[in-house]
Amino acid sequence: MSLLSVRNLSHTYPNGYKALDDISFSVEPGEFLVIIGLSGSGKSTLLRCLNRLIEPTHGTITMNGQDVTHVSDAALRSHRAGIGMIFQHFNLIPRHSVVKNVLYGTLGSTPTLASILGRFSSEQHQRAMEALDVVGIAEKADVRADALSGGQQQRVAIARALMQNPNLLLADEPVASLDPATSHSVMDYLERINKDLGTTVICNLHFLSLVRRYATRVIALKGGRMVFDGQPIEITDAWFRTIYGEEAMEVEIR
Amino acid sequence: MKRLFAIILDAILGSAVTSMILLIIVPELTGLSVAPLLVIPATIAWIAAATFGGASIGQLFVSSKTERPLPNGLRSHMGWIAFCSSIVAGWIVTDISPIEFFSGEGLKGAGRIFGALFTPEFDVLGAALDAMVVTVFTALMATIVAVPMSFVLSFAAARNVMTGGTHERVFYVLLRALLNIMRSMEPIIWAIIFSVWVGIGPFAGMLALVVHTIASLTKQYSEQIEDVNHGPLEAVSATGAKRLQVLWFAIVPQCVIPFLSFTIYRWDINVRMATIIGFVGGGGIGTLLTQYQGLAKYNEVGTLVILITLVVWMLDVISARVREALR
Ligand SMILES: Nc1ncnc2c1ncn2[C@@H]1O[C@H](COP(=O)(O)OP(=O)(O)O)[C@@H](O)[C@H]1O
Ligand SMILES: [Mg+2]
Repeated sequence: MSLLSVRNLSHTYPNGYKALDDISFSVEPGEFLVIIGLSGSGKSTLLRCLNRLIEPTHGTITMNGQDVTHVSDAALRSHRAGIGMIFQHFNLIPRHSVVKNVLYGTLGSTPTLASILGRFSSEQHQRAMEALDVVGIAEKADVRADALSGGQQQRVAIARALMQNPNLLLADEPVASLDPATSHSVMDYLERINKDLGTTVICNLHFLSLVRRYATRVIALKGGRMVFDGQPIEITDAWFRTIYGEEAMEVEIR
Repeated sequence: MKRLFAIILDAILGSAVTSMILLIIVPELTGLSVAPLLVIPATIAWIAAATFGGASIGQLFVSSKTERPLPNGLRSHMGWIAFCSSIVAGWIVTDISPIEFFSGEGLKGAGRIFGALFTPEFDVLGAALDAMVVTVFTALMATIVAVPMSFVLSFAAARNVMTGGTHERVFYVLLRALLNIMRSMEPIIWAIIFSVWVGIGPFAGMLALVVHTIASLTKQYSEQIEDVNHGPLEAVSATGAKRLQVLWFAIVPQCVIPFLSFTIYRWDINVRMATIIGFVGGGGIGTLLTQYQGLAKYNEVGTLVILITLVVWMLDVISARVREALR
């Protein structure tokens, strides 16, 4: 059974702009699926529909066999809690310490009052340190999150996502604001999580060289429509021009 | 033909404005009545300026859209007309009278009050200090009582928080309207209301300030909330957090410092307002001041004024320092 199945998904923004148009695909457990496409092609919208940060206008989303398109309240929160998410701009809580930020990954399973009073269990603390260990940044646990470099912040964000013990990890252009070397280090962590922990990853990416290096499968969006679904090696020059336009030139990131 | 029409329009406008200036403002200023005949050369000067200086309003009305970017030009001319005519109207309505300001009688009055203010009577200092303490604490209590309520309300008054459907939208709009009404009623009016309700004294003053502070702080807080970076909100929501957790973990950390800063500034403002509110029965130094003013004891008034100035100035400096340090 597929981990995630998207059928005829469309999203129209309140201003009438149709950002996603009839998208269908399935994701098998363990895949490292990369979504490519020009800026504005709908990648972020698609990712946010998957954990319902954005409400789909049409279509269905099925996760682990359960239709989650219209669940609300507790069911919606538990759907979200099972999916980790990292962002281009990391989205950490700036004034709070690294370890606190990681603990916030458990908010979905922590009672509201306890979390507001800062009462996270010692087991949760221990798991937070382990998660920081996975991304090699445990020594920064007590540093303020906004004192870290971009690459370090993204690793903290990955640790936060790991706290959810996710089946699925969504990454929205996780390296778009990082330099090439740091980009590879962050992508390597995602790859390790995918390979070692078996977490399925869906990742929006910009650079084709990164796609070829990390993806096990690629989906391409163009103007909100899906125009490609296949292996990274199948992206020929012809496909490249279809996806990115005739004028486009491939840029390498090493 | 068009040109003639433009000149006529300018002439009408020009004569209206110049006669207003020459026949109303100038006599008011100088006490001399100006010969109405002066209006004619002034009008001619106006038309000349309009025609050759490029500021012709008549031209504007007769020219077609393609010749001139009409809306823009019109707006700037309208702006000038509105500006000039409001100065003229304001002059008349406010009874501005340079004659009284500089007349012998007027200057004598000024000499008397300044003389008294600069030879303060320090016998009242003890009572004044007591009253000042009352005023400062009235302001402090009002701020402390208002802060928690403003904090809670500010979330309901923030557009980016109230996204949960129509009923939240309605609540948001109603709350905003109520706060706007509360805020447009000056604290002094609330003080009059509460001095009838709970009797004259600091408590009435405090209640008046509480109402106004809630309205003002809620607005400031909620604007800050609407300004937060959306990213952390998405990130915390994505963990499966409940709504209250999202507010607390994604919004509050981004807002505490500005909130503190607004609050301290509000206390500072409240001390000034508490003084004024004292005039209408809000207790403290304001009440004392009206008493001595009523008795025409200007030397005592002088002491109070000096004390108020010192305290307000001190608080101003302190609150500015604290807010600076918070940044
Ligand atoms: N809140 C919004 N309202 C209206 N249009 C939006 C909104 N957010 C995104 N869009 C539009 O939807 C399209 C897809 O956006 P997005 O999913 O962010 O693309 P990508 O992540 O591929 O750059 C873009 O054309 C964008 O301008
Ligand atoms: Mg995007």
